[in-house]
Amino acid sequence: MTYEEFREEIRKLVASNRYPSLKSYTLPALWIAEKNFPRIDAEIMRIIAAELQIPLIEVEEAARFYAMFHTEPKGKYIIRVCTNLSCMLNGAEEIVKELKKLLGIEVGQTTPDGLFTLEEYECMGLCDGAPALTVNEERFLRVKKEELPQILKKFGWQGE
Amino acid sequence: MEKLLLRNIDKENSHTIEVYLAGGGYGALRKVLKEMSPEDVVEEVKLSGLRGRGGAGFPTGMKWEFAAADIKEPKFFVCNADEGEPCTFKDRVIIEKDPHALIEGMLIGAYATGCRYGYIYLRGEYPIGKRILERAIAEAYEKGFLGENILGTDFSFDLYIHSGAGAYICGEETALIESMEGKRGEPRIKPPFPVNAGYLWKPTVVNNVETLANVPLIIERGGKWYSQIGSPDCPGPKLFPVSGKVKRPGVYELPMGTPLEEIIFEHAGGIVRDRKLKAVFPGGASSSVLTADEISVPMDFPSLAKAGTMLGSGAIMVLDETDCIVKAALRLIEFFRHESCGKCTPCREGTDWLVRILRRIEEGKGSEKDLEVILSISETMENSFCGLGMAAHNPVASTVRKFREEYLQHIKTGRCPFRSS
Ligand SMILES: Cc1cc2nc3c(=O)[nH]c(=O)nc-3n(C[C@H](O)[C@H](O)[C@H](O)COP(=O)(O)O)c2cc1C
Ligand code: SF4
Ligand code: FES
Repeated sequence: MTYEEFREEIRKLVASNRYPSLKSYTLPALWIAEKNFPRIDAEIMRIIAAELQIPLIEVEEAARFYAMFHTEPKGKYIIRVCTNLSCMLNGAEEIVKELKKLLGIEVGQTTPDGLFTLEEYECMGLCDGAPALTVNEERFLRVKKEELPQILKKFGWQGE
Repeated sequence: MEKLLLRNIDKENSHTIEVYLAGGGYGALRKVLKEMSPEDVVEEVKLSGLRGRGGAGFPTGMKWEFAAADIKEPKFFVCNADEGEPCTFKDRVIIEKDPHALIEGMLIGAYATGCRYGYIYLRGEYPIGKRILERAIAEAYEKGFLGENILGTDFSFDLYIHSGAGAYICGEETALIESMEGKRGEPRIKPPFPVNAGYLWKPTVVNNVETLANVPLIIERGGKWYSQIGSPDCPGPKLFPVSGKVKRPGVYELPMGTPLEEIIFEHAGGIVRDRKLKAVFPGGASSSVLTADEISVPMDFPSLAKAGTMLGSGAIMVLDETDCIVKAALRLIEFFRHESCGKCTPCREGTDWLVRILRRIEEGKGSEKDLEVILSISETMENSFCGLGMAAHNPVASTVRKFREEYLQHIKTGRCPFRSS
């Protein structure tokens, strides 16, 4: 998406008249940015601030507060491994360890080819399928260490 | 027991309006709009004894009465679908399998309280639920259950989804409202309560998903009928998400007041590999722990309060004899440290210090004095600004009290007894 297209999307969003206050469009606007750009950068925040007629700092505050918004570059696919209690009790730490090994990166990093970002994540409400992970919007439940290469390959992983 | 809240979920395509209508869906809305005044609806819900399922257990009828009495316009009806409490996944089942029950419950609540606009605050981590809800809302508009002059009456209601973006604190109702207004999710001082000054400082009803799913039932079968299910002072069916070391993790619908032991051993199949049960957090990550000797407790708000813990979201987290209690408590307080919004000192600093101290104990570098420090921090955190900080120390302080020996073992031997290396 180009910046101009993004500005158009925000105008469309505001035209939907969903909220009685312009500032309420901040999170929906950030969501559009999160889904269409590698990161929410300064220019994006400036566009949101201008369109919603709010101070830039308020956009920045919101962008940095929420865990699902990335103000640093992220990969095409975000792997979120839940390590909260039920997943931890069912082996989540092993899953994280194995993914670090397979991808050759630490938690919070992105693979050099820009494909995957690895995140340790809080409970995603998938605890009946612990240990659980998601790749973008897809869920993987009761994940076993041995299944990880298969899962990664689905998203274009070239490793072995 | 007959399934009430989960009566639809095993049907094929239960999320579609056709299936919902075929099962009598939107009949309660019809009844409300054609036969009942808003006051009648409030009275019926009060009679039912329904208490909120989001954690605090506030009587729903009373909340609606307060909102109905406020004359500021417009009023907003918000469904709290943020479901962020660790190991809670009950609302997800309704959102994904029976979204129209939620929408119908909202419509009835909005009619009773005079709300013109509604929002479902859905956690960002439920993208599948979002697609299902979007579709359900579109279907409801198409059939005339949403929009202007619903079913030919004067009642109009528009409904939108507001997506959260990964912040547990936004489940707290005033932080949720701040987040809807486009801000960081920081709680507001109460009072004023959202029913009088909520979204854009207008009257705003905030109700949990599961709470709302009860509403069509209460209208269909009557508040009196409902009040006779389960515990007398907090009646109704309840969804219990069970996870951790049980054989059959999942969401179980049972009457309020079902003994914890029955839920774990009969419904969830007992402990994996028939190991011994060690400990249970009976009401989510901020509840105090129960030991194996304490699980005969009935699962309802007053009984668990009496047992020194709480029902919270009803999430039952089960540990077996091979699990380290220090590590479990550490993981939970790490969660709260991550989610603390940072607005007030007891919570921001308290969660951080508890993490540091628990981590050194777990690594075998703790001292006996640490245990007293933990309890004193815990006491200070009681004075936090909102419910997050007020409860975050519970899993830590309660495990120190009830599993003191295990903490001491870490300290005295200089290592975690549950780690092989
Ligand atoms: C830290 C914190 C987190 C909360 N998270 C949720 C949540 O995820 N979902 C929810 O329905 N209520 C949550 N609540 C409770 C809400 O503040 C509020 O009481 C509830 O949504 C009211 O709905 P009810 O009366 O139907 O239960 C939370 C409260 C606190 C203090
Ligand atoms: S208790 Fe914690 S979450 Fe609540 S206002 Fe204070 S810092 Fe924020
Ligand atoms: S604990 Fe991992 S999804 Fe809930």
